[in-house]
Amino acid sequence: MIVAKRKPLNEIAEMLAPYKKVTVIGCRSCVAICLAGGEKEVKMLVSALKVKNKRDGRKQHIEGTVVERQCEKEWVQEIEAQILDSDVTLSMACSLGAQTIGDMYPKHLTFPGLNTGMFGVPEEQGVWSEKCVGCGNCIIHTTGGICPIARCAKSMLNGPCGGSANRKCEVNLEVDCAWAAIYDRLKLQNRLDLIESVTPAKDWSTSHSGGRRVFEREDAKLTPHQKKGKGVT
Amino acid sequence: MNAKIQVLLCKCCSEVPELLNIAKLEKLASESGNVLSVMTLDALCDGKELAMVVAEARIKEIDRAVVLACQKKDVSPALIKAYKRVGVNEHLVQIVNIREEVVLPHAAEQERAQAKAQTMLLSALARSRLLQPLERSSEDMKTRNVVIVGGGVAGQAAAKEAAKYGVHTIILEKTGKSVTAPGVVMPHATLIGGKGYGGNFELKIRVGESLEDLGAASVVIASGGGWSTLKGALAKAVRGAMPLYEFHQKLHAEQTSAGTVVFMDTPDPAGKTLKVQDYAWDETLETAIELKRKHPETAVYVIFQEMRASGLSELAYKEAAELGVKFVRYDRSATPKVDPKDPTTLSVKDLTQGDELKIRLGTMVFASIPASPDNQIIAEALRIPMSVDGAIRRGSIQRGPVSTPKPGVFVCGSALFPKSREVAAAEGQAAGKLAGEFAARGSIEFGGIVAQVTQEKCSACLTCVRTCPYEAPFIGTASKAEIRVQACQGCGMCVGICPSKAIELHNYTDDQIMTESKTLLGGDF
Repeated sequence: MIVAKRKPLNEIAEMLAPYKKVTVIGCRSCVAICLAGGEKEVKMLVSALKVKNKRDGRKQHIEGTVVERQCEKEWVQEIEAQILDSDVTLSMACSLGAQTIGDMYPKHLTFPGLNTGMFGVPEEQGVWSEKCVGCGNCIIHTTGGICPIARCAKSMLNGPCGGSANRKCEVNLEVDCAWAAIYDRLKLQNRLDLIESVTPAKDWSTSHSGGRRVFEREDAKLTPHQKKGKGVT
Repeated sequence: MNAKIQVLLCKCCSEVPELLNIAKLEKLASESGNVLSVMTLDALCDGKELAMVVAEARIKEIDRAVVLACQKKDVSPALIKAYKRVGVNEHLVQIVNIREEVVLPHAAEQERAQAKAQTMLLSALARSRLLQPLERSSEDMKTRNVVIVGGGVAGQAAAKEAAKYGVHTIILEKTGKSVTAPGVVMPHATLIGGKGYGGNFELKIRVGESLEDLGAASVVIASGGGWSTLKGALAKAVRGAMPLYEFHQKLHAEQTSAGTVVFMDTPDPAGKTLKVQDYAWDETLETAIELKRKHPETAVYVIFQEMRASGLSELAYKEAAELGVKFVRYDRSATPKVDPKDPTTLSVKDLTQGDELKIRLGTMVFASIPASPDNQIIAEALRIPMSVDGAIRRGSIQRGPVSTPKPGVFVCGSALFPKSREVAAAEGQAAGKLAGEFAARGSIEFGGIVAQVTQEKCSACLTCVRTCPYEAPFIGTASKAEIRVQACQGCGMCVGICPSKAIELHNYTDDQIMTESKTLLGGDF
């Protein structure tokens, strides 16, 4: 899932300070599950801002609400009136949610309440770790199911490097060396020959380097006729 | 639904009127919305005025009550019983402890006390209007089995006591040693897993090589301490090594042998690191002093890495030193050693002086013994917490010295911490009694203040499932969280952590709590 973290309260308060009417919008998907922007976090932030405003003597009207998935227009549309009635919207979704609202209502101000971090896995309650960077060309079948692009600090395709010692990375001794993990996994699977073979440079055109990526699936797209019927443009 | 509230003001044996203006409180109550009856009573706890209270409640068709009195446990049981008779739901009776929250702390500040009592009354009324009547239901226990883990002194005592309740006791004994106890004794049997809740546990046990299922109404953990598993280098090498409680007994029975006595912190079973439960140092110092008093000629050493005696026990350092007890501190990197060829000499590097000391051993006493490694498996099987020492944790030393936080699971003997046979047996009796009584009830009551999921809001994120210590939430067939009400203890942990606010605790909803808090504190937040 997409893992995010709430911005510090003071940063948010400063962002919102010039505005009289604020709507805080959470999202029930990834950011709710990673305990960053669900209904609970929205309510807590609204309360915290109200308390802070009271202490600082600032007059501001703050309301909170939550949508099912903020990255989808249909869900956002349901609360259109509430968004447009405010001076500024604070999105408690990942940046996708914030940008969806922003693209839908370009004149309206939409600010981010979260820092969107990564594609992460909940390792245990309250701990998320990055395992994929969305490079668009998956190779983990050759690396024992462990992604070196996301989990190696240098994203090396052939490793480990000389900085790997005692299964730790030279970048930070608390970081596990991805290539040590790959070695262990391949050994367990009896496929150590894979670590000997040299992986040539990867096709990075599928990654972010080529600018904004857009995936299209022709068979799923609606025809202009269908779109008209649904009132979608 | 229109709330019909009765307000009771208890004078708490006339402690209250000395400080508070009862007439003002009465007026405030009777002028508040939904209040149909206000009564001032002399002493609610003695029960004499209850008939009058419920007679009035019946006439005015009261359905809920706010009671300004003292501790809930002093007032509540009889009052709730009386109210029940006139149809007032037990969950709609709110007790406000003005004695301990107003009268005692503000005894010298009449104005503040009055203001606080009034605010507390108003906030309780605000909450009372929002409360919902709750019902409790019951479930029959599928079995009368009391499963006792461990067949040592504590386990045997527990079985004997539990059997008096006409329940079926089953002892799981890890070894093949003979166990004298009523009911079934299963040798070579250990608890390895389980699910369920007090009244209906489904345990997984290993008997010899095979795995079996075993139902249980209640469980007693009497699995003992880790002395038998202590195989560290020192314990193996040294003859006459014993745990502190054993030495203590010998000292009392005048059975200690002559020669130097060394008290030392304890190697863990792996023999690598060393740790001592803190409480053990108090007892070590006391025992060393007692020994030195009885036998001044005995050379006594206390060898330690880090010693922590609690409170006044710190004075025992001085007393022990004055009596001639020698304290030697060593470093983790140079743990004391016994030469395998000469098991009577202990060498230790004194951290303070830097010298290598050679001590001729008579008796070696380990200050504490490690908790049994079995505790981990047992705690995981029953989902109960452990202490930092790796022992089973009890609920509360005052209110449940042999209870765990989980209803229907009891603990006794050295599974809690190392102790003598006598104490272990006494604890076994206590735990057996409670477990027997629990299983003999035949049914469990549940419901009332429990959690409930609003499924439309649930994203099945598993947060509640991971958080709940009682395994009450689970993801049901609709792929949404549900609450197993039999297991729910109404603690509210899932409610607090649910990121989608999909869970509420009956009668502790956000609305109810916020309304109460807003009246208490004033303002919006």
